[in-house]
Amino acid sequence: MATLDIEMPRMVLLYALCLLPWLLLRMLGLLLSRDIGLSVLRMSVQLALVGFYLKWLFDLNNPWFNGLWILMMLLVADFSILRRAGLKVRYFALATFIAIALSILFSTAFMVILVIQPVLFYDARYIVPLAGMILGNCMQGNVIALERFYSALRKNENEYATFLMLGATRQEAVHSYFQEAIKAAINPTIAGMATMGLVSLPGMMTGQILGGSEPWLAVKYQIAIMICIFTSTTLATIINLKLSLNSAFNDFDVLRDEVIDKRS
Amino acid sequence: MNPIIRFDQVSVSVREKTILSNISFALFPGEKGVLCGKSGSGKSSVLRAFIGLHAVAAGSIYFQQMQLTPASVHTIRSASAYIGQEPVLGAETVRDALLMPFQFKTHRNQRPTDARLVEVLTRLHLTTDILKRKCNRISGGEKQRIALARGLLLGKSLYLLDEVTSALDTESRQAVFDVFSSPQLTVLSVAHDADWLARCDRIFELEAGRLIRERRHGNT
Repeated sequence: MATLDIEMPRMVLLYALCLLPWLLLRMLGLLLSRDIGLSVLRMSVQLALVGFYLKWLFDLNNPWFNGLWILMMLLVADFSILRRAGLKVRYFALATFIAIALSILFSTAFMVILVIQPVLFYDARYIVPLAGMILGNCMQGNVIALERFYSALRKNENEYATFLMLGATRQEAVHSYFQEAIKAAINPTIAGMATMGLVSLPGMMTGQILGGSEPWLAVKYQIAIMICIFTSTTLATIINLKLSLNSAFNDFDVLRDEVIDKRS
Repeated sequence: MNPIIRFDQVSVSVREKTILSNISFALFPGEKGVLCGKSGSGKSSVLRAFIGLHAVAAGSIYFQQMQLTPASVHTIRSASAYIGQEPVLGAETVRDALLMPFQFKTHRNQRPTDARLVEVLTRLHLTTDILKRKCNRISGGEKQRIALARGLLLGKSLYLLDEVTSALDTESRQAVFDVFSSPQLTVLSVAHDADWLARCDRIFELEAGRLIRERRHGNT
């Protein structure tokens, strides 16, 4: 069953729906016209560009271009994670890149090569959306892990110094903050899995059903993607925090002041 | 005899501001030294520099004959006890706080017996009931004594004390004085308390990050 097309007049009708929340917000005295207009415009332009590019990528289905697209997504994610975590890019860019690249490539390769097994392992129709979905979720986890870990270290500077003075190595002294940060990073994914299908129907499953897939097939894909998201988020946050320690501390195991981005 | 602590023309800067300038002094085994001076004169920074919490911009710091370097900092920290004005116990109950350092690899084989715990608590005028209490339910003075007890349990012989008697009553202060009067223990402290100063062998006066005077007890 093919998905029904939304033709242009009905797209215009859809955009007109935005007028309802805009009007309600205006009545509440919230003058957000500029923000709403800009966001809707950005979303439309960005998605249109991605649509053109994905169409081209799928038609071409070249392993190098597919790889290049994933590399670009990883680089954008790298900068975005560090900016949102309030850390300076120049100190952590490599650690974060290695962490997310390893975990995304591992999870995507596992899912595509071992589970889905398409004719071409580099088939853009599989690897591009799957890597994108896994990366998007993994990104959130890494922002939470880095932000929690370095905030806790700064807030508990005296406690950390006390642990060092009591004979702890740097690894031992940061252990409790490390555990808390990882827990905070993976909790949303664990909670998401626990309530999946009860609280909301997941986006990918809904998309597949609308696209004409059998509900059972959509369910299997959804389970697969959730397990890959959980695996890659756990892997990436652990690797990222471990690698970040090398740049974050000075030779005397003291957190370097200059690694924190004070503007954020 | 070699000094246990030696500062040789040490300068320290934090965020491009000089907080210690050209500091030189030595403290020998068994001596009790005290750093005094106005607030912001750099007293606590001397203690923090010794354990590598402030980077040294110029000069050298020695523990016994070992220079403070990234390679030696773990040894120096493990050999000394630093107790600040508001000690962090870092555990839920007092017993856990006292035993916490023995989870670390460095001290894993030195876990004290219950009899040793009781002995150390008694020396600091603390009763064994305190072992079961939550760390967030004990007073500031008790926290300071628990932090001191932890140092004693680790068998440390060098103590860096930052105003540790500030929250203690007269009796508890006396207990702390008695513990540190032992000739086996070397103490470098920060204090304003006249009784504490009277019991120290050397008094180092700081002003605006400089050591302006060094006195032996009883001399000016």
